[in-house]
Amino acid sequence: MASREHELSALPQTSDPPRGRLSQLLARLISPYLHGEPRGPVPEVLGRLIYPFVRGEAPKPQQATGFYTDTTVCIGCKACEVACKQWNQLPSDGFNWSGNSYDNTNELSATTWRHVKFIEQFSEQTSNVLAPMGTVSDESPLNRWLMMSDHCKHCLAAPCHQACPTGAIIQNEFENVYIQADICNGCSSCIAACPFGVITRSEMGGHSHKCTLCYDRQRDGLEPACAKACPTQSIHFGPVEELREQASKRVDQLHERGVPQAYLYGDVPSETYSAMHSFYLLVDRPSVYGLPDAPFNPWLHMMGDYVRSVAGGLVAIAVLLVVVFLLKP
Amino acid sequence: MHANSSSQHASTKPPLPEQGGQIGYENTTVTKVPGWHGIIAWDALLNGMAMGLFLAAAVSELAAPAVFIGVAKVAYPVALVLLLVDLVLLVLDLGDPLRFHHMLRVFKPSSPMSLGTWCLTIFSLPLTAAAALSVLAKLGWDFERARLLAVVVGLLPGFGAAAYKGVLLSTNAQPGWKDARWLGGYLTNSALLMGCAELLVLSAVMRQTQAIAILRTAFIVLLILNMIPLGLLFANLRTIHAQLYTRGQQWRVGALIAVGALIPLGLILLNGGLLSISVAVIFLLADSWLVRSVYVKIPHTSPLEVRSGE
Repeated sequence: MASREHELSALPQTSDPPRGRLSQLLARLISPYLHGEPRGPVPEVLGRLIYPFVRGEAPKPQQATGFYTDTTVCIGCKACEVACKQWNQLPSDGFNWSGNSYDNTNELSATTWRHVKFIEQFSEQTSNVLAPMGTVSDESPLNRWLMMSDHCKHCLAAPCHQACPTGAIIQNEFENVYIQADICNGCSSCIAACPFGVITRSEMGGHSHKCTLCYDRQRDGLEPACAKACPTQSIHFGPVEELREQASKRVDQLHERGVPQAYLYGDVPSETYSAMHSFYLLVDRPSVYGLPDAPFNPWLHMMGDYVRSVAGGLVAIAVLLVVVFLLKP
Repeated sequence: MHANSSSQHASTKPPLPEQGGQIGYENTTVTKVPGWHGIIAWDALLNGMAMGLFLAAAVSELAAPAVFIGVAKVAYPVALVLLLVDLVLLVLDLGDPLRFHHMLRVFKPSSPMSLGTWCLTIFSLPLTAAAALSVLAKLGWDFERARLLAVVVGLLPGFGAAAYKGVLLSTNAQPGWKDARWLGGYLTNSALLMGCAELLVLSAVMRQTQAIAILRTAFIVLLILNMIPLGLLFANLRTIHAQLYTRGQQWRVGALIAVGALIPLGLILLNGGLLSISVAVIFLLADSWLVRSVYVKIPHTSPLEVRSGE
């Protein structure tokens, strides 16, 4: 049993049986490596070389699951952060006063998969510092706390998934975006691709990590640790379709009760971004919560970039050819 | 924690955070930097130099074998050395270099990194063959047809290995990089320009007068042509540069890049001797490195207003 993150990522994951004849053969070839038996340098090297090419049987697709986070009932207790760190055995990030309200977690990273954000909107003293935030309701003075438990958005068309060259990032049977820690080689493409800044590379082992939506717990029929720990039911876990229904009812309810600015972020696709399997109920602009106002999937540009790249090269080759043919004796 | 934070409301001077903190989340950069630092600027340069040299030599040799066969046979081994150095840099930049081969367990065209790795890996085979057969030819074992076959086979993956780099560095969510629509166009074009320049130096060293005459002209045309994608790239980056640098800094770097392009142009126009060609090519390579460094730095640089001492 691994007790630290770097040990976890080094463990081969043998839960899925090898798929196909080739994989069975390869798995047999590196059996000592797979089962952690005592080994010499040759089986070790052979195991490391062959291991990533052993394919597992794909699990049967299940109902898509996700999170719906109702920020209006979040009390900023950080129980979700603690539950996440504990269940996933994530190491400490040290402790620093940030000077930013009660938020001393600062950011999501390879070792922090839940981040509770605190936004203070108080009219007496916010006039100079937080003036632009008062845009939502000019008629009533803003005297409120906004709190939001942030985490991976588990995008339906996830840029990190599209960027990953090793196939370490997959969409698992619950349609959650999952990084296979035993496959990731730390190329950082996913970090560059994520518009929400969710992923970083761990100092230990050099691999990328992020929220797994408690894949291990889900496979055993449990709800994710953060949702389980949330005392106000700000974090809802369940089938995405049900969550969307529940969330839109809550928005209607809030509108009736005099919170007209309540809306859902990420529940449906926009023109530039897919739907997200973990979405939020917010009451101010997304940027106030540190979210992009209009998330953009970088892959919308990829084909055009390839065309310009290839054209740039072909034009140069054509020029070279013309000069050679004109001047050759 | 409780007493410390609540005192922010009461007193006019809130307690200073230990790390220069920011209140709220607005105007903060949401994305995380991938940690692709200087090593990637060198990688982008070596990538262009290796693939450019191979492509320039292959295209010239196939179009005019009589003129270029001698210099091409030297160019392929040089290109192989450049490629190997580049591959070492790429592997070292991984978080877990011993897992490099994990890149080869899938082929994913949606990932520029995957496409690029496959192109580089496949390209390294015909390039090694072409380089080895060129060396063997010098030693007296001439397998001319096999060598030409290797060169032809290397054309497509070699072109792919040059073309993916710009797309990789522009298809992402990073500030500035995400707007660089012309990076790929510039880098691939620049690769051919650098390749032509390297071939020119090799021809000068080997005193191939006909090759020098042709490549001098090609170099001048390509250098002028390269200004177009470079200009378009800097137009893409104007907004982000305005956020990161003062006008003075932008002008200084811009002038440096312009001078770095004009000096080789002037030198090559004036004189076709070995010395002036070598100096011109060194200036061109330095200039190409400067453009790549300026680009790679963008997401690692903080915007002006939060930087101290500007």
